[in-house]
Amino acid sequence: MSGEEEENASELKIGEEFLKAKCLMNCEVALILEHKYEQLQQTSEDPMNQVSQVFEKSLQYVKRFSRYKHADAVRQVREILSRYQLAEFEVRVCILDSALCVLGNLCPETVEEAIAMVPSIKTKGRAHDDDAIERMLNDLSLIKKFE
Amino acid sequence: MFFHIVLERNMQLHPRHFGRNLRENLVSKLMKDVEGTCSGRHGFVVAITGIENIGKGLIRDGTGFVTFPVKYQCVVFRPFKGEILEAAVTMVNKAYDMEFQSGDIPNYTTSDGSVKIQKDCEVRLKIIGTRVDATEIV
Repeated sequence: MSGEEEENASELKIGEEFLKAKCLMNCEVALILEHKYEQLQQTSEDPMNQVSQVFEKSLQYVKRFSRYKHADAVRQVREILSRYQLAEFEVRVCILDSALCVLGNLCPETVEEAIAMVPSIKTKGRAHDDDAIERMLNDLSLIKKFE
Repeated sequence: MFFHIVLERNMQLHPRHFGRNLRENLVSKLMKDVEGTCSGRHGFVVAITGIENIGKGLIRDGTGFVTFPVKYQCVVFRPFKGEILEAAVTMVNKAYDMEFQSGDIPNYTTSDGSVKIQKDCEVRLKIIGTRVDATEIV
């Protein structure tokens, strides 16, 4: 498969079927998995036995590495990130989705850190300057503070 | 990275599962079959979140089994080369770059001692390559 070689997430090159899919931040995955786990608890007595090892480990992972815990905060984070991104480049929404999730997962504190993680927020956007990125990071840290 | 993706699968169902619970039987069999599996293409299927549609069943010649094409939404975890993510250390073993300290708690320590990586540490890393081990999630 030729696609295998060209895959590179740092340049946001990912397989075609994943471009159509929606990227999820760790905190969103945590909400989904916890909801599913609660449903299982209602229907069976020993839910831990019902779920796969992959489910169990994923749930542990996303719980440990989620920056935001509350559903409201999670929704706000996605809103803020998509607002800043879409204003700059509307065309490649699907690709940006993954950049958005990286930022939401890692919560960079400085502009340099953010650019190092997701170079595309700097290079591909015509007008995405340091100020705009800084404002975005500020907004995100505010959510965290008030959570 | 985690994705919410729509996948399709042909499900074979034994005639004893037909009847008014056909849909539930189909969905629970789907969950049993695909949740927790891993493929190089789509990564790990973590959880099925919904059924998009179940197509018309086709009776297989000679067996009585019926094949249903099922489209379902699921959460998958698929790592990509170049991706940056955070992880917890589960094992430390000898490699080249940093000082490796063996002993009770194997760890890496930088020469000035300012950074130490051992089991249960949280690290931020960049994926330089992926390999599929379909049997285990690490």
